[in-house]
Amino acid sequence: MRERLVSQFTSHRNQLGLTVGPGLLWLVMLLLAPLTFMVTVSFMNVNDAYQIVWQPSLDNYSQLFAGEGSFWQTPFFQSLLLSYFIAGVTTVLCLVLAFPLAYLLARKGGRTFKVIIFLVLLPFFTMYLVRAYSWYLMFGPSGVINKLLMQIGLINSPLGLFNYGIPAIVVGLTHAYFPYMLLSLYASLDGLDFSLIEASRDLGASRFDALKDIILPLVLPGMISGSLFVFVPSLGAFITPRFLGQGKVLMIGQLIESRINSLYAVGYGSAASMFIVLSIVLAFALAFRYVSVDELGGV
Amino acid sequence: MATETDTDPSTDTDRGRNTDHSTSTNVNTGFLDHEMKERLLSRGLYVVAGALLVFLWIPLLVMMFLSFAQNASTLLPFQGFTFAHYAATFADGTLMTALWHSVQIATLSALVATVLGVLASFALARYDFPLKEFYRTFGILPMVIPGVVLGIALLIYFRTLLGITPGFLTVVLTHSVYGFPFVLLMVSSRLYTFDESLEEAARDLGADPIETFRDVTLPIVAPAIGAGFLFAWIRSFEDFIRVYFVKGTMDVLTTSMFSMIKYGTAPKMNAISSFIVFVIAAVLAVAMNVGNVTGYVAGTQGDE
Repeated sequence: MRERLVSQFTSHRNQLGLTVGPGLLWLVMLLLAPLTFMVTVSFMNVNDAYQIVWQPSLDNYSQLFAGEGSFWQTPFFQSLLLSYFIAGVTTVLCLVLAFPLAYLLARKGGRTFKVIIFLVLLPFFTMYLVRAYSWYLMFGPSGVINKLLMQIGLINSPLGLFNYGIPAIVVGLTHAYFPYMLLSLYASLDGLDFSLIEASRDLGASRFDALKDIILPLVLPGMISGSLFVFVPSLGAFITPRFLGQGKVLMIGQLIESRINSLYAVGYGSAASMFIVLSIVLAFALAFRYVSVDELGGV
Repeated sequence: MATETDTDPSTDTDRGRNTDHSTSTNVNTGFLDHEMKERLLSRGLYVVAGALLVFLWIPLLVMMFLSFAQNASTLLPFQGFTFAHYAATFADGTLMTALWHSVQIATLSALVATVLGVLASFALARYDFPLKEFYRTFGILPMVIPGVVLGIALLIYFRTLLGITPGFLTVVLTHSVYGFPFVLLMVSSRLYTFDESLEEAARDLGADPIETFRDVTLPIVAPAIGAGFLFAWIRSFEDFIRVYFVKGTMDVLTTSMFSMIKYGTAPKMNAISSFIVFVIAAVLAVAMNVGNVTGYVAGTQGDE
């Protein structure tokens, strides 16, 4: 028995089959097949009984942009544009906020580092839903922020800025994805030789020059991969806009979800999803011009 | 909003560095002298860091505070502390059933993801085969595809093509493929830095391949496998959007919480959410003292 097992393990082909096979089977069955099927469905008609009619057509796509007025007035286009805007602002905000903290973490070791990283990681590991909910408590006409400001006497009536809407969504998403940016930047900055900066300063470079010519080029991979990991999930976000938009803001993820769940509009949902997938492919293609796969995700 | 204490620790080490600096560029005699400027910048960095930590923590702290407050919906007027919300939460049968479902699903799918991910990691690290780079990228994909897209794709696939009724099985399958990249990333990066001559030495000394694996390879890779399993588990446990599409009529913790927020049962929501933060804080504190958590996390960003 043992001998047979051992001899099984020593054949190169068996080893390869055993290690590659199961994962490949899973990925083909549960990733490649569903995604391929979705692409196919997006090009098919769906009849009134929610059955797919196997006849290629572009109906689903034209439906996305059909409605009163021109295509840029359709709900789909509007929410696509809005999603890009929100995801873009979130990414920039995360980048600007995370940089100083990542820099500090990279320069500090020991206890300060451990405490800060624990305080950053704990919200990061806390359920995403809980974090969106905690901001839901903060915002709103009768939310914690407005109530507190009114109690102190700074304002008389709830401030619109702290109502549910785009600002609240941006804050919620920034809170949700900030750690991804921070960890990406930190991973880049951690390998940076800080004596380079001191050398440049000694040679007469200004603080700004040192930042522009030394730190930024070296941290660029981290900035790009961090931006990807903030932008991509923000684009397809669902819970945050749902709670922090309270119906006033419709991001693309919510639009698709509502069509699928209330109407089982498989064709519409598939076609709309293609725009998210396409955006992501484009974002990654752009990123890969500046960074390699290795720098992107640890492997 | 930055707190006073955050500016304090910049005393010894920073001043030491600043004096080094000032010897080289002491020519600057403006309104603020050089040393002063350096100190202000360094303090500024701590202030920014402090403000960020406040930003990360304030909503969670408010929520935890409310979970113990008698008036659970808003801070003011404050009426006193109580454990009643926690008692009501743990007495809620349907919520506890949903929690139990979540634990079962997370454990099962993380187990599947770990087995598949460990095998695939060995393939990537040890063997050469055609389309290897493609396989690696393919393996990371489930982590990158937004939850809405993966959820819908799998829902349509299960219901329309395979004819499986969404439920427990479909959720486990979905999460097993979602957890796969986390295990793959952690274990394969560990294997890349693994010194294979250790295995050769074991074999030279007479160990057969199984003994070598058990006594040499496994102990070295085990922490990465553990971290991968934990990550896959947490990802499954906290996932809402994928499970929302493929769950059928079953409820897990996140979908129960979602409807609690939707229909406004704040007290229980505060309590269960805060409870989760406490548990995770304890687990993270232990994990950070046992192993290099940051090292593992830095390479595996996910999404939701």
